[in-house]
Amino acid sequence: MKRVISIAIVSLVILSLVLVGGVYSGNVTKAATKEGKITIWAWDPNFNIAIMNEASNRYKKINPKVKFEIANMAKADVEQKLNTVLASGVKTGLPEIVLIEDYNAQKYLTSYPGAFADLTKHFNYKDFAQYKVSLMTLKGKVYGVPFDSGVVGWFYRSDYFSKAGFKANDLINITWDKFIEMGKIIKQKTGKYMVGFDPYDGGLMRIMLQSAGRWYFDKNGKVDIANNPVLKEALISYKKVVDSGIAKKVSGWNQWVASFNNGEVASVVTGVWIIGSIKAEKSQSGKWAVAPVPRLNIKGSVNASNLGGSSWYVLQNSKYRDIAIDFLKQIYAKDIDFYQKILIERGAVGTYLPAQKGKAYTASDPFFGGQKIFVHFSNWMKNIPSVNYGLYTYEADSAIMAVMPDVYSGKLSVDAALKKAEEQFKNKVGQ
Amino acid sequence: MKKISYERYIDLWGWFFSLFSIIGLGLFLFYPIIYSLYLSTFSTKGVVQEFVGIGNYIRLFKDNTFILSLKNILIILIIQVPIMLILALILAVILNDKKIKFRGLFRTAIFLPAVTSLVAYTVLFKMMFSTDGLINQALLSMHLIKEPIPWLMDPFWAKVTLIFALTWRWTGYNMIFYLAGLQNISYEIYEAAEIDGANKVVQFFKITIPMLKPIIVFTSIMSTIGTLQLFDEPINLAAGVVTGSSVGPGDSLLTPSVYIYNICFKYMPNFGYAAAISYIIVIIVAILSFIQFKLAGENE
Repeated sequence: MKRVISIAIVSLVILSLVLVGGVYSGNVTKAATKEGKITIWAWDPNFNIAIMNEASNRYKKINPKVKFEIANMAKADVEQKLNTVLASGVKTGLPEIVLIEDYNAQKYLTSYPGAFADLTKHFNYKDFAQYKVSLMTLKGKVYGVPFDSGVVGWFYRSDYFSKAGFKANDLINITWDKFIEMGKIIKQKTGKYMVGFDPYDGGLMRIMLQSAGRWYFDKNGKVDIANNPVLKEALISYKKVVDSGIAKKVSGWNQWVASFNNGEVASVVTGVWIIGSIKAEKSQSGKWAVAPVPRLNIKGSVNASNLGGSSWYVLQNSKYRDIAIDFLKQIYAKDIDFYQKILIERGAVGTYLPAQKGKAYTASDPFFGGQKIFVHFSNWMKNIPSVNYGLYTYEADSAIMAVMPDVYSGKLSVDAALKKAEEQFKNKVGQ
Repeated sequence: MKKISYERYIDLWGWFFSLFSIIGLGLFLFYPIIYSLYLSTFSTKGVVQEFVGIGNYIRLFKDNTFILSLKNILIILIIQVPIMLILALILAVILNDKKIKFRGLFRTAIFLPAVTSLVAYTVLFKMMFSTDGLINQALLSMHLIKEPIPWLMDPFWAKVTLIFALTWRWTGYNMIFYLAGLQNISYEIYEAAEIDGANKVVQFFKITIPMLKPIIVFTSIMSTIGTLQLFDEPINLAAGVVTGSSVGPGDSLLTPSVYIYNICFKYMPNFGYAAAISYIIVIIVAILSFIQFKLAGENE
């Protein structure tokens, strides 16, 4: 009896070892063939995932042998998974294509050298918006395929604004100071707040910075916080917005979206990707319009900026790398009709410039009172100043937000706050 | 072939069967402990490593953000843990009284929060404590406040909200430990005390608390460790910020665990630095537990 048990145990152990070994040895085939399965990691089912589904269906007509597996995860999960797999050093378990937020592009490129495929020779990058291309360039090599733009617009309720006595032309090419003044009038005449505003969110600050072609870092990636005149102006504007009472203070995404969906606020200043959320409230159709983003009261600031946006990257060691590159080339750098479709269906403003001559970009939108909004967005997109996001955008963001309570309460002057933030930032990243 | 003695035979099988757990322990417990100590001597950018020796630990003392996260949990530790444990103790004593009707129902009701999902209850608290939320509306309609309290918009109130949430979630959990401990105090002791003329309050301080001391020490150490590792509640209460710039207003809800997570997955991935922080947390937990043992007395 004991013998039988011991034989059973030993054979079980051997069997399991064989099975484990089998899994690990795997079978790596060369990706020269046109057959294969492309795995893609991305977030946002209504935007990126839906767009990738559309793209993959189009590619299947060109190359029917290719299969797709499009994984929908939360943005934080995509980043966490990518980090852990790349850091562990294993070559398997990664997708062919991954979506990376532009702010994080340089971070991934420098922390995992060799992990992403060099695409410099595969694409004609002159066809893409330049500010996007520079974000994915490291040491002269380009590693990504520029995707959606975060071009910023000032979305406003035309009914509220006309009630307060403003015409559409009054909103063109104004400064943030003017914006605040208008907000006070709106508040007085309509009782509505100008914007929904999270006082501890860095989004608006990044909009202001980029509109003046500056960032938390200089062109060489060196920290530029304490003596950055644009950042100082941005901080002052933050305080003004809070003090003036034109902002309905909200905490978090849901409250923020609710603030404009339920008609409490008269406008939203953010990336073009918010259109889906604005349109979600169908009863407000026809009441919205778009104007260019206000600029800072400082030389060099323009009425165009960017917030967020992301791009596609191909993993160097993925099994079907060549097919993945071909897929991105055929659809994202060629198919103009594709860009028209995702614009109309998803509000996705691509950064492939030839696509912007398509007819969808000149269509008028009844939700926005018949305004040809995408004509404006593609024009603004070309004016977005290019900046170097560097490696530490989120660290800098949080270092600044940590001093904001003291700025609001007046305990710290703006200069002192910036100095403190820079110190905090340097300690945080160990510089 | 020499025959193996029965004892020896049993011994070998014993080793064979424990081998699996020994390998498992080594692989999944000791190896990570040693490796993370090794890792904490490197400053990493993803896979790009640079040996810094104890540089990470020196850097920690200058890192205001880390110090802020420590301050945050120390405030919570000093305020929330005593409130929670005293409340749990009082509730346990009340619900241990045989004269109270529906004891089972009350016990269950108070314990129930401890079985809810961490994320679900935090999201619920976030909704209740939002500026237009249930709590503010209730307080406004009762005329207790004139303006809505900025629960999650102000560094001070954000911590208060977190303390409310933690107390709601964990009081019942600790109460169960005290209830279990109370079952071991024999009823005769109270009877004798009653005959000697001790009232309920005296009984509570002279009998219940001394007899429950080991359990009080246990719960306070567990709560200390739990607080130092606080992650789910702050990250979900703060998850709000539109593009994720700070953890609560002015990083007021930042805890070391959240900071470790951010260093690994949100910021430039510096696993070496994160490992150093976790070692510091281990040391702090060890010191605090040691102090609590000493304060509680000698032989526990």
